[in-house]
Amino acid sequence: MSGNNAGTGAPAVFSVRNLWKVFGPKADRVPGSELAALSPEELREQTGCTVAVRDVSFDVRQGEVFVVMGLSGSGKSTLVRCLTRLIEPTSGTIAIDGEDVCGMDKGALRDLRRHRAAMVFQHFGLLPHRSVLDNVAYGLEIQGVGKAERRAKAAEMVEKVGLAGLEDRRPGQLSGGQQQRVGLARALAADPEVLLFDEPFSALDPLIRRDMQEEVVRLHRDEGRTMVFITHDLSEALRLGDRIALMRGGRVVQCGTPEEIVGSPADDYVRDFVRDVPREQVLTVRRAMRPAAADESETGESLDPTTTVAEAIETVARTGTPARVIEGGRCVGVVDHRSLLGVVAGLDAGPAGERTAA
Amino acid sequence: MTVHTASPQMKTAPPGRDASAPHPAVLALRALWARPAARKLLILAAAAAVLVPVAAATHGSGTWPSAFTVDLTKPLTGASDWIIDNRDSHWAFLYFFGHVSGAIIGAVHAVYTVLLALGWAGVTAAAALLAWRVAGARVAVIALASFAACGLLGMWVPTMRTLALMIVAVAVSVAVGALLGLAAGLSDRTFRALRPVLDTMQALPAFAYLLPVVLVFGIGVAPAVLATVVYAAPPMARLTALGLRSTDRGVLEAVESLGATGRQRLLTARLPLARRELLLGVNQTIMMALSMAVIASVIGADGLGDRVYQALSTVDVGSALAAGIPIVLLAIVLDRTTAGAASPSPRRLWAGVPQAGGTPGRRLGEGGHNQRRARTRRTTAWLAALAAVATAALATGDKPWPDTWTVAIAAPVNDAKDWMVDHLYTGLPGIGGTADLAAHYTTWVLDPLRDGLQALPWWGALLLVAALAWLIGTWRTALTAVLSLAAIGVLGRWELSMDTLSQVVAAVAVTLVLGFAIAVPAARSPRVERLLRPVLDVFQTMPQFVYLIPVVALFGVGRAPAAAAAIVYALPAVVRIASEGLRRVNPGAMESARSLGATGGQQLRQVQFPLARPQLLLAVNQAVVLVLSVVIIGGLVGGGALGYEVVFGLAQGDLATGLTAGVAIACLGLMLDRVTQPTKGARDGA
Repeated sequence: MSGNNAGTGAPAVFSVRNLWKVFGPKADRVPGSELAALSPEELREQTGCTVAVRDVSFDVRQGEVFVVMGLSGSGKSTLVRCLTRLIEPTSGTIAIDGEDVCGMDKGALRDLRRHRAAMVFQHFGLLPHRSVLDNVAYGLEIQGVGKAERRAKAAEMVEKVGLAGLEDRRPGQLSGGQQQRVGLARALAADPEVLLFDEPFSALDPLIRRDMQEEVVRLHRDEGRTMVFITHDLSEALRLGDRIALMRGGRVVQCGTPEEIVGSPADDYVRDFVRDVPREQVLTVRRAMRPAAADESETGESLDPTTTVAEAIETVARTGTPARVIEGGRCVGVVDHRSLLGVVAGLDAGPAGERTAA
Repeated sequence: MTVHTASPQMKTAPPGRDASAPHPAVLALRALWARPAARKLLILAAAAAVLVPVAAATHGSGTWPSAFTVDLTKPLTGASDWIIDNRDSHWAFLYFFGHVSGAIIGAVHAVYTVLLALGWAGVTAAAALLAWRVAGARVAVIALASFAACGLLGMWVPTMRTLALMIVAVAVSVAVGALLGLAAGLSDRTFRALRPVLDTMQALPAFAYLLPVVLVFGIGVAPAVLATVVYAAPPMARLTALGLRSTDRGVLEAVESLGATGRQRLLTARLPLARRELLLGVNQTIMMALSMAVIASVIGADGLGDRVYQALSTVDVGSALAAGIPIVLLAIVLDRTTAGAASPSPRRLWAGVPQAGGTPGRRLGEGGHNQRRARTRRTTAWLAALAAVATAALATGDKPWPDTWTVAIAAPVNDAKDWMVDHLYTGLPGIGGTADLAAHYTTWVLDPLRDGLQALPWWGALLLVAALAWLIGTWRTALTAVLSLAAIGVLGRWELSMDTLSQVVAAVAVTLVLGFAIAVPAARSPRVERLLRPVLDVFQTMPQFVYLIPVVALFGVGRAPAAAAAIVYALPAVVRIASEGLRRVNPGAMESARSLGATGGQQLRQVQFPLARPQLLLAVNQAVVLVLSVVIIGGLVGGGALGYEVVFGLAQGDLATGLTAGVAIACLGLMLDRVTQPTKGARDGA
């Protein structure tokens, strides 16, 4: 659903390799040793350590929304904090635009946090004694930007997140959704290269959550900023993510597009996880189509390969005839009642290799 | 202790029927062992069984054996003499203590001069304006009336002297306390090191702080200020540390994620977020400082306390009251002003209900501008008003307070007191008189208790203290308590301490009975609570010293009035803590008890008391600490025992006697605090 301006060939902004975070005494002996093979309970018993992030590697590409998703305790929040070393990783490497984050000294790290990666928090983290405007301007204040300039910039951001007119309120006078808009504006004010979201909407009511998600989609469409988004909400992940990394017990169990996650779950855990997802709204006709018979490639409605199955069902139901999937002016396949229903029913489930090559 | 050990022994195990089953006695022991309280007592009993016969055989079972005492009189007198001889020549005094003392005296004098220069009108107006600025119009009116009353009572000059001393002492206390608190707030290690020290300092009676400073600085304003600082700085340090440490983790993380440096984090987030605790710390420091500044009159702080002290020593209740009322008024003004500064903080707004509606209104933005402009205008108005009042004050002449404007209340009060002596002291039908009551309390309660405690074998007292402290706390608190008690014996103040202890125990018992009797209805009925609150507020702000005045009027001098003052002083705190504890019991638990059909009494016994146990224990602890502090001061009105030793030592220049008594007081305070200290965390909020 989100903008598809994240080309697969785009350069990586964050590049994470073999990242470990172990809490507890002498944590650094765990990664790479035989202790790493132990189950969490055994490890805790033997060493008193808890593994939050376990040998995780991924790339966040320029301009994409990368969602890290998992249940509570899966290590996702720890993972995102490791990216700017709010939590010090135990081992592994993190690079931002090819620059080693783990090797940064205090000054460089501060610079990274000030200018390149800004974070939005679940519980907002606003300063209760400051007005909305001063909260938004806070990041700039820390950077040493002059008062007039930072206030002008902050006013612009407040406007952008739709809070114009509330500049002089205190955070305590705002609703949860409004507070999170302030948090978002504060993160945007520094004009960072990457926005990091740590379950930003979990504390909000469902309707407001929906609003905020659309706000994020809109922001991403307008600015194309790279985003790393942590959530435990699958529908949020599917709605926002260009790619999703699904975490369990500190490990990434599957990393791929929403369609890959829903269409080709890597294991039973993921399959169980996505079971209740309305498949027709995530999967596209690319997955449902079958090769066109001789007479079918010339007639019938034409659909884009990114059309969802739900939309295709509507078309097919309206016309009563199979629809063609056209890519680059060429018919790559057709979808009919049978194939579309097969996707909805989950009868198509099979290894990724069976799908038609894009 | 007999009670405690008896109950487990009476427990009999069911007779074992199976031959292979362990012996019933073994079973009973095992069951006992499973209960921590019984386990502790068993260990203690075992230790006692070994040690007591040895101790009793070698050192008898009377009071503290003389073999274990160390006579410190000679070295202490020597030290005191040496200090007096070398005060004008030794480098430590010339280059350090001399400068400290000089700076303090200079500062107090400077403040006093400024206050006098402002004149009565200037000071009153400045106080009222300040109160208005930080706490609103109501407090301003109170301030205005209070300062006028001080003048009317003919106490303007002593009030200014006390105020000058207070201002300097508070400034130093806040600075020292804030620095210590900052260190403890930012470093875990400092916090761990500082916390027990601060805890202990808050449990010690004010009198214990007087002697050491007198030893070094002699009698005068400088030691009075220093004793005040030592007494008043801990709450500031404590609350600063608490405020800094309780900063919202999420906010701190957000601030860090924006790339703030450590200094930025402190200045823009941690300190502003701790604003309420900091102001509360200032408030408590001011109240402690006032209380100490008045007591410090016995080491040479002149002002209101001195007037009360002089008047009490001749049982001139009228004059004591004339000086006591300004103390109370000063306390109320200072408390309301500083508490007012702390309460309408933005935090009240933060907690407020979120404003509905996301539709932005344009008016608010303009409102901000107007607010700013209005604020500037108001500040200008304040400055103009202040300047006008000051010039008016200067124009009124150099008299501190017009002589003709005073009301002499001493004579009528003394007349009233004489009437009371004639009519209330004795022979009232049915209830007897106040003097009768005092005599009965002394002969039937205090004397037997004191004799009993003094007749208690020394090892018995140690064992009793160990058992009590261990049952309520940990082995650490028990050890501290036992060592403190032993230290008293070593210092050779055993008998006197048992006398003081008897007064404390009796007064605490009365306080607790009365306190819980008031707390239960206060917790159950909002109306009683509403009626009680203003009374408790006023009583809790008054310095300990003031309580001596009415009890002397009512009961004369002796141990009974000291006990009465102690009870009245400790009662408000006990009522407040206990009723709050009872009221805050989880409403879910109360509701479920009600839904099961529990009667009011059952709810109280089975739900409220058990759930509020930590708070009730805290109330006991506070009762003990507060009663002790006043019982000691009671030495000024014939309470005798340790308090009198201190006063005597000061009056006679016999610092060795006073100092050992002071240390014994500190040890007694430490012991009593540890014996009643429930858990480590329970005192955090205080």
